[in-house]
Amino acid sequence: MEIIRVRGLSVGYGGTPVLEHLDFDILPGRVTVIVGESGSGKSTLLKTLIGLLPPLAGAVVLDGRPIDFNSEEDLRNLYARIGVLFQNSALLNSLSLYENIALPLRIHRPDQAPAEEAKRVAEMLGRVGLQGSEKKFPYELSGGMRKRAAVARAMVLDPEIVFCDEPSAGLDPITATGLDALLKDLCKAHGMTFVVVTHELRSIERIADRILLLRDGAVRFHGGLGDLDKTKDPYVKAFFLRTANHDH
Amino acid sequence: MKHFDNVEKFFTLFSDELYHTGRYLRRRQGVMPGAVVQQMFAMGYRSFPIITLITFLVGVTISLTSASQLRLFGADVYLADLIGLAMIKELVPLMTGIMMAGKIGASITAEIATMKVMDEIDALRTMGVVPEKFLMVPRLIAITLCVPLLVVLADVVGLAGGVLVGRLSLGIPPLVFLKEVFRVVAVSDFLLGIGKTMVFGWAVVVGSGYKGFFISRGAEEVGTATTDSVVLSIALIIGLDCVFAFVLN
Repeated sequence: MEIIRVRGLSVGYGGTPVLEHLDFDILPGRVTVIVGESGSGKSTLLKTLIGLLPPLAGAVVLDGRPIDFNSEEDLRNLYARIGVLFQNSALLNSLSLYENIALPLRIHRPDQAPAEEAKRVAEMLGRVGLQGSEKKFPYELSGGMRKRAAVARAMVLDPEIVFCDEPSAGLDPITATGLDALLKDLCKAHGMTFVVVTHELRSIERIADRILLLRDGAVRFHGGLGDLDKTKDPYVKAFFLRTANHDH
Repeated sequence: MKHFDNVEKFFTLFSDELYHTGRYLRRRQGVMPGAVVQQMFAMGYRSFPIITLITFLVGVTISLTSASQLRLFGADVYLADLIGLAMIKELVPLMTGIMMAGKIGASITAEIATMKVMDEIDALRTMGVVPEKFLMVPRLIAITLCVPLLVVLADVVGLAGGVLVGRLSLGIPPLVFLKEVFRVVAVSDFLLGIGKTMVFGWAVVVGSGYKGFFISRGAEEVGTATTDSVVLSIALIIGLDCVFAFVLN
């Protein structure tokens, strides 16, 4: 049973579609990786899935009910159930790491006691290997540390689905590997669903359970990692071969 | 057509801010604790040196320019009337508003536009935070609380400029000068000055927020948006001042 069902979805800007008539499912407890060439609409699709860009047509169905992107209540419900890791971390520079991670708690659990909040923030920082960094500000951290802090913020509410936009972009290979391992561990340990946008084959190999390849405004391939070997689509084969060559 | 869209966006943001501020004052939710105090420090404490300096200099300049003319007609003591009314009713609100546009408005636009470019605004939305409330309500409350203090300081310093010139240039004793000021300036004039400046402050905050929130993506646009916000804020202040002049005279 899927956690998100996408049917007939068209997304784009100013009425001009970037992707049209998309149909796919996101399965729970798996890492689904959205891949495609630059400009293929990966980030645009992600924006719609996280409620920042209303679709031009079609539906995103969460737990059997289509999300009404104009309804504040539907969006609030969506935001209470998802976490988002942005490409450049998007931590609030004016807030300390503690305040950054506590922010979703303060919004969604306003009655939580300060001691519980502090415990939860410390636990999340511990999970991502940043224990004791509560008082630091984002600008005092390296790119990899900021990404890990952003993971902690994305997961502080124990979301059902975590969306990640190019999590390893701008990181050195060692840090990127560490971050991928962290995402995979968190997925396994907590049974969370991950939807990751990336174009790095190594990262795909390390974390993907399922792959969604976008090409020419449509889904070109959707299936498990194992299905890649069975596909006869020359573009899909060439894409992964090309990406692999480029990566190595 | 684009201009109509911009006007619509501005007034939509303005009405949203009124709604969010009213809601926050009732429920005290959706804003970071301590944000109002932090903004009061940023807006009030950091702006008061430049505001006091400028109003003092304006007080001195207007006094010097007027003194020579008044002396010709033997109307020296009317310098106090002129400076008192001009500073308290018109120049202090206007100069404070313009200084707020440069000092506070520019920093609001730069901060919000940078947050937008760095995806921080989107991040706030996906956490269920309303950025227009989270970022703007503390600023609106802070400017409302800071303006009376800034205006009182600016009034005092502006009048001090007049007293200084009156003493040095026309030989008017400070006590006589101040007695004349209190004779012609009513409490309502003083309160009107505060009220006008408060409206200018709200215009600066909303105008600057509008310029920050509605940039299209791109770091290069942050600078343009910041300068545009100062121009917009000053235009709004002068436009509003004109409306006040029509209504009150």
